[in-house]
Amino acid sequence: MNQFRKTLLSLSTAVCIMGLTAAAQAETLKIGLAGPSTGPVAQYGDMQKIGVMAAIDDINKAGGVNGMMLEGVVYDDACDPKQAVAVANKIVNDGITQVVGHLCSSSTEPATDIYDEEGILMITAASTSPSITEKGYKTIFRTIGLDSLQGSMAAEYIMENAKPKRIAIIHDKQQYGEGLATSVRDLLDAQGVKAAMFEGVTPGDKDFSALIAKLKKENVDFVYYGGYHPELGLILRQSAEKGFTAQFMGPEGVVNSDLAKIAGAASEGVLATAPKSFDQNPVNETRVAAIKAKGEDPTGPFVFTAYAAVEVMTDAMAATKSTDAEVLSDYIREHDFDTAIGKVKYDEKGDLTESTFLVYRLHQDGSKTPAE
Amino acid sequence: MSEFSLYLLQQLINGLTIGSTYALIAIGYTMVYGIIGMINFAHGEIYMIGSYVTFIVIAGLMGMGIASLPILLVIALVVAIFISSTYGWTVERVAYRPLRGTNRLIPLISAIGMSIFLQNFVVLSQGSRDVALPPQITGGWNFGDPSLFEVSLSYMQVLIFAVTFISMTLLTLFISRSRMGRACRACSEDLGMTNLLGIDTNKIIALTFIVGAALAAIAGLLLGLYYGVVNPFVGFIAGLKAFTAAVLGGIGSIPGAMLGGLILGVTEAMTAAFFPSEYKDVVSFGLLVTILLFRPSGLLGKPEVEKV
Repeated sequence: MNQFRKTLLSLSTAVCIMGLTAAAQAETLKIGLAGPSTGPVAQYGDMQKIGVMAAIDDINKAGGVNGMMLEGVVYDDACDPKQAVAVANKIVNDGITQVVGHLCSSSTEPATDIYDEEGILMITAASTSPSITEKGYKTIFRTIGLDSLQGSMAAEYIMENAKPKRIAIIHDKQQYGEGLATSVRDLLDAQGVKAAMFEGVTPGDKDFSALIAKLKKENVDFVYYGGYHPELGLILRQSAEKGFTAQFMGPEGVVNSDLAKIAGAASEGVLATAPKSFDQNPVNETRVAAIKAKGEDPTGPFVFTAYAAVEVMTDAMAATKSTDAEVLSDYIREHDFDTAIGKVKYDEKGDLTESTFLVYRLHQDGSKTPAE
Repeated sequence: MSEFSLYLLQQLINGLTIGSTYALIAIGYTMVYGIIGMINFAHGEIYMIGSYVTFIVIAGLMGMGIASLPILLVIALVVAIFISSTYGWTVERVAYRPLRGTNRLIPLISAIGMSIFLQNFVVLSQGSRDVALPPQITGGWNFGDPSLFEVSLSYMQVLIFAVTFISMTLLTLFISRSRMGRACRACSEDLGMTNLLGIDTNKIIALTFIVGAALAAIAGLLLGLYYGVVNPFVGFIAGLKAFTAAVLGGIGSIPGAMLGGLILGVTEAMTAAFFPSEYKDVVSFGLLVTILLFRPSGLLGKPEVEKV
């Protein structure tokens, strides 16, 4: 027993010393970047990476934070909930205390438990599912509006601008897509508009001909799709081939230049709620130029939300002179931040108080313009 | 015709289209099983490679300024069949032949490993995103009363039916008439005995893989053109569906695979037509379980006799 205690003591001393030397050497502060760098939605991970790396470059050029230089470390969760948990554990083991990510709501949710428990500050730049911040976590924030806000914005647009005769609501049975589709259906229901159809499709499916025939039979003239671009792209393409012409609308998950690649001309005029185009904002002119100078694309919807996530973190660190997640979280809740996405203010749950979305019309060249 | 029957007709066309391609892929599973009693789980990946090759060839030829559709299709078909068959042959040579004669489970694991390897090989070499090709064969016939319901039958769908029918007929003729086909049938009856009678069974097994891969390549070309999109993960789902079709029809039986594919496709389309489409897979796999309960060897399969 005594021997065991001795080893334990020497071990813990060793750990202490190692910890001390690590602290003395720490001139760089690592920021974890969790998102998909592989898998079907890898391009969203690229957007996040472009934004975070640009923010880190800018901050390092200005002398870093509290004398420390920032360094971004990329972790790949492939938008897979299981892999997200593994990534979160790896981040904990690597001793990283600030994380930007994850990206897909379904991966963010299982990871948040781990971050909250281990005292890691996590700011997601893309996950919009309301349930992420509903568990009373202390160290979890976002720099993007909620699904429910996108849903109400879509429902409002449908009621006031589109005014369809018969509407169908389709979703991909995943947390993000089905959550949004349900909220749009409920909001329309509350206003007395009943959806003619409410159905799920299987993600990864390639054949939607049966669904399209059904939409055609129901004489639907407006389709709201809750999900991501690979399925919507195919639905649009096959609809055009089968002569089904309705107005389609989706959430920001469909806003992607790949939608135009998959659907071609059929993607012209699709409506979508998307984060405001922060790259068009004159405030970000130098940032956009810097990203372009690196040969990267600043127009993705998550580039500047990711940029802002880093800004919120580092502003809080600079003001509190701390990297402790609890201290930073308290500071973030109580203060306003001036970021690339405008003024950012948080409520008690860690959500933004103002929506960052707008209704856009997508075009077949991959661009988008604000909808009329 | 009433609106209902027009709608039914449309869904039948949709179901038969997808069913034909399930059948083409299913034959690869059933032929391999019929001869060596093994499930080739890498077969779905061969189909996926067929799709990729089609895309690369068509995009490449269009880049070179060749715009004639028949020429594009024929070259793409030949190249896709050649490359997929090479993969099919290599997979057999590398992953299955060294394990012949071992416990049945071992080549099964090797097959799953091969499937994961091929999928990741394509992810690394082609990227994991969807690759899209603009529609090549557009247009079709519309009939029915536009005020009720307009049934559309696209040229692409007709091409799928036609090519599937021709491939199936050629395969049936090959199996029933040619010397090689007779050797194939002999192998599937008794591999050991066929070997004793002086037929190089290794050659016949390799041939089976090549023929299966060629049919998968045809399916890859057709579905690639029909959907216009391919990613490295399509092989998994298509393989699963085709495998289901093969089991449904009776694994080991070639007409069974054709029938199973068509039944599965039509069931899926009809379920999606009258129930919420999320129940599509529930009903098709439910059907599989039901048929296996009453006919464990599938619709056209022969009950297996334990060889002593």
